[in-house]
Amino acid sequence: MSAQALPTDSYPRVRRIVLSHEGVLALLLVAELVVFSVIGRNFRSTDNALEIVRLGAEIGLLALALTPVIITGGIDLSVGSLMGLSAVLFGKLWRDAHFPLPVAMAATLAVGALAGLLNASLITRLRIPPLIVTLGSFSLFRGLAEGLTAGVDNFTNFPDAFLFLGQGYFFGAIPAQLPVFAAVALGYGLLLHRTGIGRGLYAIGHSPEGARHAGIPVERRVTLVYLLSGIVASFAAVLYVSHNGQAKADAGTGYELRAITAVVLGGTSIFGGRGTIAGTLIGLFAIVVLQQGLLLSDGPAELAGILVGVLLITAIAANRLVTALASRRTSKGV
Amino acid sequence: MMRKHLREISVAGALLFLLLILLVRSPKFFDAANLRAVIVSDAPVIVAAIGMTLVILARQIDISIGSQFSICGMVAGLLAKQGVPTPVVALATLGTGALFGAINGALVAGLRIPSIVATLATMVTWREAMRWISEGQAVQNLPESFLWLGMSRPAGQALIVLSAFALLLLFAWGLRALPAGRAVYAVGSDAEAARLAGIRPPLVVFGVFVLMGVLTALSALLTAIQFRNVLPGEGAGLELKVIAACVVGGVAISGGRGTLPGALAGVLFLGTIGPALPFLGTQAYWEKALQGAIILIAVASDAINLRRRRDVGASLAH
Repeated sequence: MSAQALPTDSYPRVRRIVLSHEGVLALLLVAELVVFSVIGRNFRSTDNALEIVRLGAEIGLLALALTPVIITGGIDLSVGSLMGLSAVLFGKLWRDAHFPLPVAMAATLAVGALAGLLNASLITRLRIPPLIVTLGSFSLFRGLAEGLTAGVDNFTNFPDAFLFLGQGYFFGAIPAQLPVFAAVALGYGLLLHRTGIGRGLYAIGHSPEGARHAGIPVERRVTLVYLLSGIVASFAAVLYVSHNGQAKADAGTGYELRAITAVVLGGTSIFGGRGTIAGTLIGLFAIVVLQQGLLLSDGPAELAGILVGVLLITAIAANRLVTALASRRTSKGV
Repeated sequence: MMRKHLREISVAGALLFLLLILLVRSPKFFDAANLRAVIVSDAPVIVAAIGMTLVILARQIDISIGSQFSICGMVAGLLAKQGVPTPVVALATLGTGALFGAINGALVAGLRIPSIVATLATMVTWREAMRWISEGQAVQNLPESFLWLGMSRPAGQALIVLSAFALLLLFAWGLRALPAGRAVYAVGSDAEAARLAGIRPPLVVFGVFVLMGVLTALSALLTAIQFRNVLPGEGAGLELKVIAACVVGGVAISGGRGTLPGALAGVLFLGTIGPALPFLGTQAYWEKALQGAIILIAVASDAINLRRRRDVGASLAH
């Protein structure tokens, strides 16, 4: 809308950015920040700004991992359940098998990699739709976590050095998760937007057949994104355990749908072929800021969920409309 | 016949095999009271699975039914508590479900939003709206006239099970015999071809979502009359449970392929595993893991079969 005020063609680049999905969403995020700075208690403090990162870290990691998965036209419903399984295994390896924490952590990530490979091989070798494969592993991973703990076992009393990762601050202000999360985001950003592998993922999302004809090893690339998704989900579980100080079978319940919401809100097409890491980050923070802002202005927390749902529909409907208008304009021009 | 319905037959066979093991190892499973409890708890899932089968056959998906179920159950409970006559309660509940279904249908068929995203959004919206309004409080002490529809417990149980199976038969017949039923298959197989054949795909898609809403509401109603209290989180996770049952029963997520008897076999098989575990000397906590493994094995065997058949076809073609 605001682009209308600009002279029509002198700022094509500005126009393109502002009118893009990410641009509109970023404006919305700014609007949220302004509103909550006015009506929220202490919203404007740096402490709060950094606390928001802490709240968003675990779901954010899942959202980052899901972005390339969805860009290839796939989906991974199993990441939340894998967090539960990883948390329980991590706790068991440390408490019952007396592994040192770093070793337990490495073993947990290895299990995450195996879980990702299980999804990937069913998807690429047997050509089962990702939605179905990960629906099955969604039950399987959560069920294994419940079975291993008999539904009640809870791992606690982790050493302080480990809890620092989820609860501590660097220099007294920066949540310990922030650098870790930033590193993962940067890694995914580089992979998707600065490498040939990343470009290949978009091509696969547009048309797997076309990508194959273009010489892209489709199966290997698809395997890579699900493998990474498994590792990142396990890593998110370790952060979760450190953040909450306990590991139970229910860790991460429902996180998969929240992460998918952030990704789709951020402009990644559920059909694949389109999306950016920046969009996912903006989508994620639009959701987390809404939750935290409502909390600090004594608004009902549930309103955040309702608004996210409405926002999701509006964002996609608006996106459809803009695309339809644009294609009409170009077809007229030609 | 055997080949065409391989999946339905193999799932039914697996169910029979499970029952056979139970018969040998632990005949106590077949005590009338236990058997009745298992079937009664499956009945609402069967009703929801009918709707989900229609939705998946039309190449759509609805992951908002858990939230719809919760709200419809609460609507039924609140109205019943106000002393509203039971038939009116039932109508209002089904109407609520139809409204939710129509909203999903309008988003998918009208605004052309992919169904997984549209119903993800409505799922979140309804769930949070529910939490806000109910503040997590259950509706307690439902009146006697509402519980089991005012009938004795065995009569109410019989009614629940019979109505679920009657509905299943009705819809199974409708899918085969009615033009509307065949239109669902046609749209799910190839929407463009269906359109050229004179079917209006958006209308069919809208219709299956409305039916899904009504059937979810009925499922919630059949659950609400069984217990003294209605909990606001009752339906959480129902969507994936029902989708899993359909998939195990051979309803293809790519649309246009699958049958209601197959979905029924899926519901009964997954619904029997859980209650059977304690009788077989295993902890009930492993239920979900086993269900997940069954889903993966079912779809994997399907895929391997399909590939083998394709290979045979290819060698014939050469």
